[in-house]
Amino acid sequence: MNSLIRNILVYIDGSESSITAAQYAICLAKTVSAKLFALYVVNTRALTDLVAARIFLKEEQDEFQVDLHQDAERYLNHVKNLGLKKGLEVQTLSLSGTVNQEIKNALAAHDIDLFVLGETAQVRSRRDEFYSEAERAMRGSTCSVLVVKDEERVWNVFDSFV
Amino acid sequence: MALLDLITEEVVKVPLLSTSKPDVIRELIDMLKKAGKIADPDKIFDSVMKRESLGSTGLENGIAVPHAKTIDVGNLLLGIGIAPQGVDFQSFDGKPSKLFFMLLAPPDKAGPHIEALSEIAKITKSQAFCRMLIKAESAKEVVEIFKEE
Repeated sequence: MNSLIRNILVYIDGSESSITAAQYAICLAKTVSAKLFALYVVNTRALTDLVAARIFLKEEQDEFQVDLHQDAERYLNHVKNLGLKKGLEVQTLSLSGTVNQEIKNALAAHDIDLFVLGETAQVRSRRDEFYSEAERAMRGSTCSVLVVKDEERVWNVFDSFV
Repeated sequence: MALLDLITEEVVKVPLLSTSKPDVIRELIDMLKKAGKIADPDKIFDSVMKRESLGSTGLENGIAVPHAKTIDVGNLLLGIGIAPQGVDFQSFDGKPSKLFFMLLAPPDKAGPHIEALSEIAKITKSQAFCRMLIKAESAKEVVEIFKEE
């Protein structure tokens, strides 16, 4: 088992489901003695696209870029602290660019063999499936993917995990 | 978060009755208030109008995306309105706006805020999809169109 999963990467986007995925990944990494990376991607591509679409002004792009970097720091620190509570050091990664591409790059750069992400929104239209960043990252992943579901159960397991 | 998670019949108004930019924004905010989504419509109106004062969110082809980052909402909120007659929204191409997506988000939800606006930007690139929405005769029909797309 240890040789099958050595490096785990969990994708954090600030959603509750991504934090649940982090809790699951912390428990899993400790159980199999794997290294855990937590990644947040500041979606600068989306900001550029919004300016191009004239929905955003340049000032808004700058303001939101700062907000997103602050979000990245806040959420990654939160995951780091969750890891520390369970005696696991989580290596945090904050990248900027196109989300699914940066995830792909991080998977390769850190020799990840398991990509963990939170449950994606229930796909209720073809458009959701096409545009969801998480869906695209999952499809583009070059390693095995684990989608964490059943938040309540994961929370309970995490709380009692030693 | 999928955009569809934000769209229910109670946050869609067809047709909008207003004929001016401030009135359209007010009508959309009042709809959200009626739906129990917001507490202080006046503060939100000021936030949206403040953003409009920096530059109109009226885009091309009859679409407008008024938006604001405000502490007066707890979660990401979307209000959709359709004005088949068109409203002068000082749009980029000078044409009247018919399809309105108003997005409100608290400051600590920058990620979902960007994601939702990006999705709106993408879907509004489809003129056929927008035409279907503009022709919709009820909120129910609008929700159905989003589900089927």
